[in-house]
Amino acid sequence: MGNIFEIRNLDLYYGDFQAIKSIDMDIKQNEVTAFIGPSGCGKSTFLRVLNRMNDLIDTCRVEGDVSFEGQDAYADKFDVIELRTKVGMVFQKPNPFPMSIYDNVAYGPRCQGIKDKRTLDLIVEKSLRQSALWDEVQDRLKSSAMGLSGGQQQRLCIARTIAMEPDVILMDEPTSALDPIATQKIEELILELKKEYTIVIVTHNMQQAARISDKTAFFMLGELIEFNNTGDLFSNPKMKKTEEYITGRFG
Amino acid sequence: MTRVQKRRLYDKVAKGIVYLFSSIAIMILGAIILYVVRTGAHLVTWDIIVGDASDINTDVYVIEEPGDYSSFLYDREEELYFSESWGIGFINTYDKEGHEIVEVGYIDPESPFMNALDKNNKDEYGNPNVVSVKVGTSVEKGFLDNGIILGIQGAEHISNMFESANEVNSLTVQIHGGGIRGSIIATFYLIILTLAIALPIGVSTAIYFNEYAKKTRFSEVIRYLVDLLTGVPSIIYGLLGAAVFIPLMNNVAGTAGGSILSGALTMSVILLPVIIKSTEEALKVISQDVRNASLALGASKTQTTFKVVLPSAVPGILTGVLLSIGRVIGESAALIFAIGAAIKDQIFFKERATTLAVHIWTIMGGEAPNYELASAIAIIILIVVVILSLLVKLVARRLNKAWY
Repeated sequence: MGNIFEIRNLDLYYGDFQAIKSIDMDIKQNEVTAFIGPSGCGKSTFLRVLNRMNDLIDTCRVEGDVSFEGQDAYADKFDVIELRTKVGMVFQKPNPFPMSIYDNVAYGPRCQGIKDKRTLDLIVEKSLRQSALWDEVQDRLKSSAMGLSGGQQQRLCIARTIAMEPDVILMDEPTSALDPIATQKIEELILELKKEYTIVIVTHNMQQAARISDKTAFFMLGELIEFNNTGDLFSNPKMKKTEEYITGRFG
Repeated sequence: MTRVQKRRLYDKVAKGIVYLFSSIAIMILGAIILYVVRTGAHLVTWDIIVGDASDINTDVYVIEEPGDYSSFLYDREEELYFSESWGIGFINTYDKEGHEIVEVGYIDPESPFMNALDKNNKDEYGNPNVVSVKVGTSVEKGFLDNGIILGIQGAEHISNMFESANEVNSLTVQIHGGGIRGSIIATFYLIILTLAIALPIGVSTAIYFNEYAKKTRFSEVIRYLVDLLTGVPSIIYGLLGAAVFIPLMNNVAGTAGGSILSGALTMSVILLPVIIKSTEEALKVISQDVRNASLALGASKTQTTFKVVLPSAVPGILTGVLLSIGRVIGESAALIFAIGAAIKDQIFFKERATTLAVHIWTIMGGEAPNYELASAIAIIILIVVVILSLLVKLVARRLNKAWY
């Protein structure tokens, strides 16, 4: 399997503050890559580099190479909207739009100019089935998404992302606002989605990283300390800092 | 006194002061509303709401001589003073504005006044039109061979004068105006036109400030100026309307002097800060998460703004609309110049008119201020404002339910 992202020598600054320090990383297709590390270590910032959400912050400056599917994602001629349709994102807090469930899922495709009702119906059903939400909402697609539970809302956000048929799904602590049962459902869903999508997930929960990811990256103070197969990283960390963190000695 | 006693005393005094002042405030508001309702309520009738404002006078004369019309069917409450020799009866009553008047209460079917001659309108051959004096018209004045009659002399006197008269040289009856239909229509026209101008501009400005403008010193200054504009007295905007919009409309739309068009432009300028402010507040509370979610789905900034952000802000914008409507209904100073104070029945966008508030100003400004009619209009304004605010609340709640 090839690399979908190849990041070389990446530095990121918020004004004068350097949030990410010369990171190199390859992210493989159809794998789940987990980012772990203490708060403020730059893992979420790094995740946002991958779909250029950091562009929205005025003071943010990125240096280095990020290649997505062989193209320079930060090149002038590279269309950021194109990138975001291929690299979807699920946020920490479930953030459905204040619209109906159907409209939420159909939002992305509609923004791409798909208007045909039958096509949209198919996309909505497929996405909701893939995110394991279809059975729960199929008879109330027209009702408000804000009436769903937190876990359902987060799965709706995943469905909304899937509806764009992206290559990669970025997840920024997707279960940190959810209860254990909803968390379990999302984790099962991630394992299911792995078959078709490349997933990059930021998590504070090390057990979660161990359960669902193939590769794990440990960040600290803006640096990538260790990046390895999940099994190896947790059972046999090479770096002392990694060992201290995963054994709970700090962080 | 112990410390605890002291604290309790202090609490009680503070509480007492709060209660005292709040009850004073409530009493003052209550007294105003009570006064308005007591003075004006009896005039708030359907007649006044849909009635014409202008009086219509008819001057007639008869060539017949007095006869004997003694049989009549009369079934109204008011006492009828009937002149048997002319077959016409009068009653004392009140007009819409509450003034005492003498009304024609009954006319015998055979009475000469059923086939009277119109003094002012002639047919194509130069003969006077035949008109009948209508029951319910008020008597203004008349010239009889035995003297002059006036409406203020009372029904009994007028009836006696007729009884002893041998000729009726002239009788002026009036279909009384005093209705405010024209002002109500003008007010609604003004509201609609003003919102049509101010809403798109205001909402767009708010979107620009909140979604697009970078936070530079320049944009901050502009924002501050917008805030400042809300505090400018409206008479100054009225001056602006008179100095800028009236000539502008005269040249562009071909109006002559003030018009509803120039009034709407003036009101739009007054309302812009209000609409910008309330829209901005509504946009500000929409969480950044929702914007990010949209952008992360590959939506452009514009798509995000118009498909996600703006719909969520609609309840807030509606609040702004409500405030604006209240402002249009209540504004008088700025409109006296821009629209004029012409009380009219036929309302056109390009002509002078008067809104309800200016109508009050007009009737209170004369030699004999009419408190009763003013109060009646005030009640109607209050009713309109209450209805509109309930309507907007209802719509906002509907929208909220649909989305949340």
